[in-house]
Amino acid sequence: MKSTRYALAGLGVFLGLLLVVTGGTDRALAHKEKHTPEQLKAFEDVFMEQVKIGDLLFHGDGATEKRLNVTLSKTGMACAMCHPFGSDNHPYEFPKFQEQMNKFATLRDMINWCIEKPNEGVKIDPDSDAMKALETYIYWSNKGSKLDPGRH
Amino acid sequence: MDDHDRLECLREESRAAWWKKIGSSAEMAGLRHEMDKELKQPGEHPDPSLGITRRTFLHKSLLTAGVAAGAATYGWFPLINTLDLAYGAEAFRFAWVSDSHLYPKTVNTRFVDKVTRAFKDVQAMSPPADFLIYGGDLAQLGDPVELDLGADLLKEVKIRKVFIPGEHDWYLDMGAKWTKLFGPSNWTFDHKGVRFVGLDTVSRGPDYWTAKKMTPKERMGHMATLDGSVAGAWAGVGRDQLEWLNRTLAPWPRNKPVVIFTHNPLYEYYPPWNFWVRDWREVHEVVKPFTNVTNVHGHTHQVLYNEVGKMRSIGMLATSWTWPYAPEGVPALTKCKVRVDPGDPFDGVGWSRLTVTAAERVENEYVMWRKDIIAEAPWDSGCADNINQVLSPRIADREWPYYGAYK
Repeated sequence: MKSTRYALAGLGVFLGLLLVVTGGTDRALAHKEKHTPEQLKAFEDVFMEQVKIGDLLFHGDGATEKRLNVTLSKTGMACAMCHPFGSDNHPYEFPKFQEQMNKFATLRDMINWCIEKPNEGVKIDPDSDAMKALETYIYWSNKGSKLDPGRH
Repeated sequence: MDDHDRLECLREESRAAWWKKIGSSAEMAGLRHEMDKELKQPGEHPDPSLGITRRTFLHKSLLTAGVAAGAATYGWFPLINTLDLAYGAEAFRFAWVSDSHLYPKTVNTRFVDKVTRAFKDVQAMSPPADFLIYGGDLAQLGDPVELDLGADLLKEVKIRKVFIPGEHDWYLDMGAKWTKLFGPSNWTFDHKGVRFVGLDTVSRGPDYWTAKKMTPKERMGHMATLDGSVAGAWAGVGRDQLEWLNRTLAPWPRNKPVVIFTHNPLYEYYPPWNFWVRDWREVHEVVKPFTNVTNVHGHTHQVLYNEVGKMRSIGMLATSWTWPYAPEGVPALTKCKVRVDPGDPFDGVGWSRLTVTAAERVENEYVMWRKDIIAEAPWDSGCADNINQVLSPRIADREWPYYGAYK
């Protein structure tokens, strides 16, 4: 009886240590529970919020630029003025060799090139919230397009 | 209800809310292909005498003129835009410049430089053009500073000048400054056997601002957003102007040439970007008795040619920036402009030289400041490079207070 109690106590300690090592209950269960519709909708809402922020940046909304502390253009031009509905962005072709940069480039590289060259704005951190939002809007506006990386 | 059904319900609620917001666009989608059905009746086409030259060739005299002017301008006659005007009585040339979208010089001088180059080209034409038509969107945000700047730059051109407005010129002060500088927004005159008509397709947009208590700048900002939804289907001719057009054309012989200048195309190419006029049916009803009608228009910033009913339409280049072809339209695109270099502000833009020859032909020559205008290989084409592209309308400006307009 005494040995059983020791065994259970040992198991408890082991499980406790396992939780500490793996980062806690939430993380352990995050992708093991069935997703609820409310969760999925919440994921979509997070995504669409980024689409809207990216849309605003893409269309030159000064308040959003100020909030995110970025200067995407100094010429009065906004991305959408050459890319209405996100057209001619071809996000589905990246990564690829990009002539203008004379290098193998990602979509984020291209976004920064457009900010810096045609728009004469200030390049943004490739991992910044503004970049993620712009990237999100560009992908969303081209959803359904055929993935064709490397295509000129 | 299982989880899948519940998720679908949630999604359906979102979709219903979305479609409620974009009802007007859904209506547009339903209209989009009606034009083809209505105007392409059996036997309905432009007069056969308006034969298109199915060749592209370098015109040596224009190349010489380019060299004489000290500019690296090559004159090309793309196959899509050469036509006959069977009753042109005397040879003459005229020029079209439009869509300069000037900002005040304190914002940028890029657009100033480009339209100045076009005006210098026009002034250097030899023999000179009989007149210049400026086809709208001189300004970007209707700012009096922008319009005054444009008027000042236009002084470079000494020949006769006529003007029609663009939406960017109009919606800050509802055309007050533009009209003061350039006069009435529609007009007509006869010149060497051709009846020319200038129509105003921009000033009769439905009121989207009063109920929302927009400032003039907010109104202008939404109007200036090509892919915005707030200004809606603003392009139109209007009942009063249709009646005026009918009266203007009534005494003109049915088989003599009519050239109608407009900012927007007089057919339905792509309503979401106002690449149309909403009353195109009525316009075509008015011109239907005439066999020789050409519409020359701006707004689309691209190489474009179309035939609808008995009318030919030719889209002009902008001097400011080029626009991609719309993701769908009427009819399917065939010959497209080249892909241009976004790093070169002078690429993909330009103006047009239109010539009525002694042989009674009118030839439209796009003056794009590059050698090739029409793409031959698909990888160089401005439409073939979009074969994998599927687009969605923007979303952020569909929610009050309508964020996302240019400011």
